[in-house]
Amino acid sequence: MSTTRKKVLWAFFLLVAFVQLFPLIWLLNFSIVDANAFFSSKILLWPEVPKWHNYVNAWVDGKFPKYFLNSLIVTGSTIVLTVVMSISLAYAFTRMHWKWRSFFYTVILLGIMIPIHATLLPNFAIFKALGLTDSYWGLILPYTAVSVPLSTFILTGFMRSIPSAMEESAVMDGASIYRIVFQIILPLTMPAVVTVAVTTFLTCWNEFIMAATFISKDSLKTLPFSVMNFAGLYSSDYGSQFAVMVLTSVPAIVIYAMFNEKITKGVTAGAVKG
Amino acid sequence: MHRVLRDKLAIAIFVLPGLAFFVLTFVAPILLSGYYSLTDTLGPGTDVKMIGLDNYLELFHDERFWLALRNALLLGAGFVILQHPVCIAFAVLLDRIGGKAEKWFRTIFFIPCVISVVVISRMWLSLLDPTFGMFNKVLAGIGLSSWQHVWLGDPKTALGSLLGILIWAGFGWGLLFYYAGVKGIPEELYEAARLDGATGLKLHLRITVPLLSPVISVQVTLAIITALKQMETVFLTTNGGPGDSTQFLAVYLYNQAFAASRYGYANAISILFIVVCLIATYLSNQFIRDKSTEY
Repeated sequence: MSTTRKKVLWAFFLLVAFVQLFPLIWLLNFSIVDANAFFSSKILLWPEVPKWHNYVNAWVDGKFPKYFLNSLIVTGSTIVLTVVMSISLAYAFTRMHWKWRSFFYTVILLGIMIPIHATLLPNFAIFKALGLTDSYWGLILPYTAVSVPLSTFILTGFMRSIPSAMEESAVMDGASIYRIVFQIILPLTMPAVVTVAVTTFLTCWNEFIMAATFISKDSLKTLPFSVMNFAGLYSSDYGSQFAVMVLTSVPAIVIYAMFNEKITKGVTAGAVKG
Repeated sequence: MHRVLRDKLAIAIFVLPGLAFFVLTFVAPILLSGYYSLTDTLGPGTDVKMIGLDNYLELFHDERFWLALRNALLLGAGFVILQHPVCIAFAVLLDRIGGKAEKWFRTIFFIPCVISVVVISRMWLSLLDPTFGMFNKVLAGIGLSSWQHVWLGDPKTALGSLLGILIWAGFGWGLLFYYAGVKGIPEELYEAARLDGATGLKLHLRITVPLLSPVISVQVTLAIITALKQMETVFLTTNGGPGDSTQFLAVYLYNQAFAASRYGYANAISILFIVVCLIATYLSNQFIRDKSTEY
């Protein structure tokens, strides 16, 4: 491609990126603006005195640390459970020999298609009967259940592509099946495991509707609720509301910045296999 | 091969926990939903009276149900017609630009995809706010004041505005999938086509689009499923309104269950919702299979 055309493409991409990110720039900008200034006709404005206090409101009254911790506990547990369960399932589906293998594989994959919103109402009744509503488990269990089908699909695809020579020699040496899976297979499938972990993180960290349905105790709510609660509490203070939104988005953007290559690699691997 | 790989106990330990989770969160709820859908219960723990298929009969005559389905199809069509061609074009251009820029722009375009749906919804509510929203200010700034509008508050523009929000939020995912597909096309094919005299748009219509067709089929299926499953963004912005202009199945069933206390009826919607999703998946799978044999 000629250099002029490349430059034109560069300029075009910069423009698109700017337009695409503009809503977020606007959000960031107005998160340090006093609520009264919202009604000026300017599109972006640099306040003479940036109102950093919006972030104090967000941190303290938005109860950011508490919701953050809840999100961390729920998301962290979900990732660990999802990875352990998906890798066990994927191993049983790809390497082990049993009668109902392909049947159960299909059944698990159905989980990708069934909308969680359709199972929300009865799940609420079941969780209530089991005493799981208003507990961390009330979120960890459904989040894991929703993450496992897709994760198993990704890991199964990846496992099929790695040769079984190493396991065979381990079997010869008399290693137990559990050692094979967690000491030999787990390190080999690490790239796919990271993809699974990151996608699970993004889904759970940002999940709203199950958390809204299964959790009513304020002390157990996750980060997206800090935005919701705050919107009620500071209904006319848009600046502080925007500050909460910015704070809530930062962890996910940081995680994404750290692992974005892995997401791309995971998607690429999946797409190539079709 | 080995005895170890036929170990029944190990297979059970590997498969049963996953299966138990699946039963707890998918099978049991669907069965329970099927049961509730035959009752007129107001909510879990209240009186249950069997009313047979009445809920389903009512549902077939419920205009809002069909409207919700129609909206999902319109949204799905919007994704396929507006979002996907743009994603494919950008995937091709991204592949061409190469070097550091390729990586940078890929990263930037994906950023909206990592932001919580709650933030996205509330942010767009503000952006499209008729009094202080940025969108109307920008329109005024470029001399299009007459276009200013209560975007989410007018039945005529609400669904379109939602489509815009969802396209903005989902652009990165679509781009990433098509980009991965473009990366899988061997360079030699382009060279061969260039020798035959194909260039520019013609080159891509002849080579890229046909070779991407497996990815396109999967993405179109996903787009339709996504449209059917649409819930959070709608729930947090318009909540189905104004009127029922942005009604969706998941929003409708949620509001029937928790706002209107028609739990039995809502469960009937749930069951039909699952059936619709499975039918859509099945149909598009058949379609993909037919298509993929051509290449």
